Amino acid sequence: MTEPSPLRRGATQRPLLEYKHVCKTFGAFTALDDISLTIYPGEVVCFIGPSGSGKSTLLRGTNGLDPFDGGEVFFDGQILPRKQSEVRKIRQRMGMVFQNFELFPHKTALQNVAIGPITVLNKDRAEAEQQAMALLAKVGLADKADNYPVNLSGGQQQRVAIARALAMQPEVLLFDEPTSALDPETIGEVLSVMKALADEGRTMVIVTHEMSFARRVADWVIVFERGKVLEEGPPEQIFETPTVERTKEFLSHLGWA
Amino acid sequence: MTLDWSIVWLNKEALAEGALMTIVLTVLTMGLAVPLGIVLAFMRLSKWRSLALLSQCFVELFRNIPLILIVYWSFYVIPILIPVQFSAFTTGLVALVLCVSAYNAETFRAGINSVRHGQTNAGLALGMSQFQVMKEIILPQAARRVLPILATTWVSLFKDTSLVSVIAVGELSHVALQIRSQSFRVLEMLTAMAVIYWMMGYPQAKLSDWVRKKFEVKE
Amino acid sequence: MPDFDISPILESWQFLATGIGVTILLSILSMAASVLLGTILGIARVYGSRPLQLVITFYVDTMRSIPVLVVIVWIYFAVPILTGINFPPFWSALIAITIHITASVVEIVRAGVESIREGQCRAGLALGMSWPQVILNIVLPQAAIRMLPAIGSVLSVTIKDTAIASVIAVPEFMKRAETVASQSYQPMEVFTFAIFVYFLLLFPTTRTVDFIYRRIAHLGRS
Repeated sequence: MTEPSPLRRGATQRPLLEYKHVCKTFGAFTALDDISLTIYPGEVVCFIGPSGSGKSTLLRGTNGLDPFDGGEVFFDGQILPRKQSEVRKIRQRMGMVFQNFELFPHKTALQNVAIGPITVLNKDRAEAEQQAMALLAKVGLADKADNYPVNLSGGQQQRVAIARALAMQPEVLLFDEPTSALDPETIGEVLSVMKALADEGRTMVIVTHEMSFARRVADWVIVFERGKVLEEGPPEQIFETPTVERTKEFLSHLGWA
Repeated sequence: MTLDWSIVWLNKEALAEGALMTIVLTVLTMGLAVPLGIVLAFMRLSKWRSLALLSQCFVELFRNIPLILIVYWSFYVIPILIPVQFSAFTTGLVALVLCVSAYNAETFRAGINSVRHGQTNAGLALGMSQFQVMKEIILPQAARRVLPILATTWVSLFKDTSLVSVIAVGELSHVALQIRSQSFRVLEMLTAMAVIYWMMGYPQAKLSDWVRKKFEVKE
Repeated sequence: MPDFDISPILESWQFLATGIGVTILLSILSMAASVLLGTILGIARVYGSRPLQLVITFYVDTMRSIPVLVVIVWIYFAVPILTGINFPPFWSALIAITIHITASVVEIVRAGVESIREGQCRAGLALGMSWPQVILNIVLPQAAIRMLPAIGSVLSVTIKDTAIASVIAVPEFMKRAETVASQSYQPMEVFTFAIFVYFLLLFPTTRTVDFIYRRIAHLGRS
């Protein structure tokens, strides 16, 4: 395990997330090969790398949706339990935003944001909906509260999805390629919301292909390839002066360096 | 060929009773076969292999034999196996329920499976339990997909009630055929039987079309 | 649990076996006729004139409202009175089941044809094809593949409908089983055997159709 860089944000505190020798295989295919990483509170960490490099797999295992085959995940110093009933409690402290938004089509935007607090936290409906309204306003969609997802654009749906995750007041936000399924015009509105959240000091783990966003907003960037960590460091290092040749190649294919 | 259509009017009460019995059978069967179908579907989807296998065998069996055979089998064999004497009506109802609940089980299973897996993930990611995910997210969406198919099953069931006439249950077919043999007014009674079924069935068929259009799920 | 005595089945095995033969024959003939008629009427339903469409729709909706038992009984008992023609039981059943099943096939053909996107037709026309050529070369082949699962379930329904023909004494398997059961006073063994036989007829049929469909489904996706 590499020593945390003294420049790393939040490194003075206990790590929020730790992956220790995490492995995952799908049949003959190794998605994750002995991954060990640390994420500190208040950090914005971006996972980048080619498709199939394992970044989304790592994210989905973080809240136990796709459990790992080997290794351990520690959240706030405690190991992630295997039992569904126990890992559920951990999930309440993490927020996840999906590539396909996954809003519940039979509920309005407001109901989507409120459903977490109502069903999981047993909040009173009126209180939950009031707070949901505030969150929708925060992502700029207060006027769409009574719309069903089918009447919202992709960017609007994703913003509602972010509000839905925020409603649970999570300690970390996990983003699984949040803009990959969006039209270019709407990517910007989602990224602005994400930047605003980063500026608030939230801990965020973002799997993304949006390199300029990662360059501007991330505190730490981790480059994946074929289930292994190629390189990790501050964005200036990764994007301007990468130490690993393969990182340079990957970024140059995308027009960087 | 002389036709005497008055025979239909003369027997209007009996025919009306028969039609009512058809409706009663349809409603009762559906009323029992829907909950039973849901139970079977959940058994099939459960983690316990033995339950899943049991449900699968039940469903495959009753979907792959003719209803009329189930009716005969129930009528002749159940009294041998169980020392209780059921009325023809009960026997007919049992046969219908067994058959329709097997179809419903498949309908419900397909409905639940048709909801995208990502929806389950989204619910779990919020910290919901499997039960909460099923109740709040999967079942409401599955219901939309299931309703049009249930409507079609209902219309089929309505027609299939005619088969319990072979064990002398007094629904429309049996009543009409009885009057035919007693009065020898064959063409009149058979046509009347067809027309009465048509009058009851046509609106139901159109209604099920409406249900299908209204709940059409466009992915 | 009472004794299980299968001797009546063994004694009458030929009687029962020919019954199975009649069931299969009746099913195949009805199915073939229904598919042929249903395809023609289905195409007419989609591409025909408005009055023709209305007539076919009325026919389809009528068959959706009336049980097959009623149609079978009407063809066998009422048609001779109307027309003086006497159909033997097998032919009455064949005609009745065909009339009833054709309606289902019409709907399946309609759904299959309508599911082919307009773009496909326009592509064919752009190449200079005529409408009949477009229908024959582009629409029907793809629709046929998409319709396969539904046709499979119609085949299943047809086989089950042949059992209903027992009420007009068609010598198919259900009737034969019934006869043996009542003559031998052993309904349990005979009807249970009947369940085996029908299951063995029906289960592989739907499974085979599923299997074939899974193999060729990609050819119908556009």
